[in-house]
Amino acid sequence: MKHPLLKLEPLIWLLFGQGILLGTVLLTPWLLVVGLGVPLGIVPADALSYERAHALGSHLVGRIVLLGLIALPLWKGAHHMRHTLIDLGGARRDAWVAPLLYGIATAGSALAVVAVVRL
Amino acid sequence: MARNAHPRAMAPAKPGSTRTAPPRLPDRFPLGGRYLAYTLFDWTGILYLLLGLLVLCAVWSLGSGESVWNALLERHRSAPYIGFHAIALVGVVFVGIRFFGFFPKAQPPRIGPLKPPPGPVILAALYALWIGVTVVLTIVLAGGARG
Repeated sequence: MKHPLLKLEPLIWLLFGQGILLGTVLLTPWLLVVGLGVPLGIVPADALSYERAHALGSHLVGRIVLLGLIALPLWKGAHHMRHTLIDLGGARRDAWVAPLLYGIATAGSALAVVAVVRL
Repeated sequence: MARNAHPRAMAPAKPGSTRTAPPRLPDRFPLGGRYLAYTLFDWTGILYLLLGLLVLCAVWSLGSGESVWNALLERHRSAPYIGFHAIALVGVVFVGIRFFGFFPKAQPPRIGPLKPPPGPVILAALYALWIGVTVVLTIVLAGGARG
């Protein structure tokens, strides 16, 4: 399993790097409004009414932003968790940890494409 | 005295002919001294992975109809969700500050024929991007851009 992962390392690093950069940039407003603002009543609830949220999300720009908001943090998370586990427990279990974490990121990214297409 | 790391942690794919001493973890790893920030930065991976899955769940709910979307918003009002999102916001800000801090230092001497901009310029551009996108998207999401 090591050889294919080494071949994919540049792609994984690209997605990981963009997960940190763009993931952080996009997650901040998401958390401020969707995660905290509306639930705490700081932002009016009708800001996320179904009609409005659907109109924003189904716009082409909205779909691209949502795709990045899902896929990029998944790759950042998978890569960082993999290396945390190597640091703490050694490389032996990486043979199954890496495929598992990158598999979650791959499946999540594929589902993200489906999710934004069906909006 | 440093403790032993996993003996295969840094092992090459093919064993070399030269014997080497087993790698050793530093004394203060993982939570002592400067390793604390390094370890916390790595552990934010869990937050990002969960956030990616939660946003996927939200977008899927949005595509599933009004009742499913409203149920998701109702779940977001529960204490565990609010608590997680508050911790996640702290984590995301921590990642941004740390990553943007070392991004200028990680630039190569040349990018093709060009030299990268000075570190402070890169740093200012990253913060401008972060703050700018945050302000614009927050206004759009919160309904400030409604006509």
